[in-house]
Amino acid sequence: MRVTVKRWHAVAQWRWDTGNDDADGDEGDVCGICRVPYEGCCPSCKVPGDDCPLIWGECSHVFHMHCLLKWIGTAASKQQCPMDRRAWVTAERKVAKPMISSS
Amino acid sequence: MTSISSRRLSKELMEIQNGGCPVGIDLEKADDFQCWRFSLEVMGESLYQNEKFTLQFRFDQQYPISSPAVQFVQTEGRQIPVHPHVYSNGHICASILGNEWSPVLSVIAVCVTLQSMLASCREKRRPIDNDRYVKHAPDNPKKTQFQYDDDTV
Repeated sequence: MRVTVKRWHAVAQWRWDTGNDDADGDEGDVCGICRVPYEGCCPSCKVPGDDCPLIWGECSHVFHMHCLLKWIGTAASKQQCPMDRRAWVTAERKVAKPMISSS
Repeated sequence: MTSISSRRLSKELMEIQNGGCPVGIDLEKADDFQCWRFSLEVMGESLYQNEKFTLQFRFDQQYPISSPAVQFVQTEGRQIPVHPHVYSNGHICASILGNEWSPVLSVIAVCVTLQSMLASCREKRRPIDNDRYVKHAPDNPKKTQFQYDDDTV
């Protein structure tokens, strides 16, 4: 039997590489500030992806960049991480690099 | 445009409706994203046995970046709890409602904290400066700069 492929349809899925393999469930992990999944976008954006990236702290906590900057921009934040109240220092090592997998 | 607060609050509301509240805490009113009310009871042995309180949350559009205004209110048959950190007008002196607020906290997290604040109380009395404070207190407790100097009660 011969099969002729007339058309094919590629499906791809992306996810931020947060370095947390445990979060590989259907939902993934959420931003602690807005409670929207990392792969979604912050409440001020409409489109997820490069325009609404994540930000990593030296303390290892991850947020939507826009959410964190909104918090850090307030006097009340005292420039501390919302999770552990340590001084927020943005980690350099993980520049948002999307992990691509296909299925 | 929907505000940050309404998006976040609708998520919190859905979690409460699907998963319920912790024991002793019940959602009583959440008709909008400006003002919610909970009933609060202390479970087990405490100075507040058989007492039920009403806790009110007021949110501005920047919640959870900005903290909610939380206070006890007097409602039918319910009084303001007598506690060294609770003023007779319902205002509460608790650091997480003020300078230790964090946007990763939630409405339920605040309820649980205040429940355990009551549970650990060993002497029912008003704050020392109650009369002076209540006389001049702003309507919104967030406008008060509390001093959090006593971690023992």
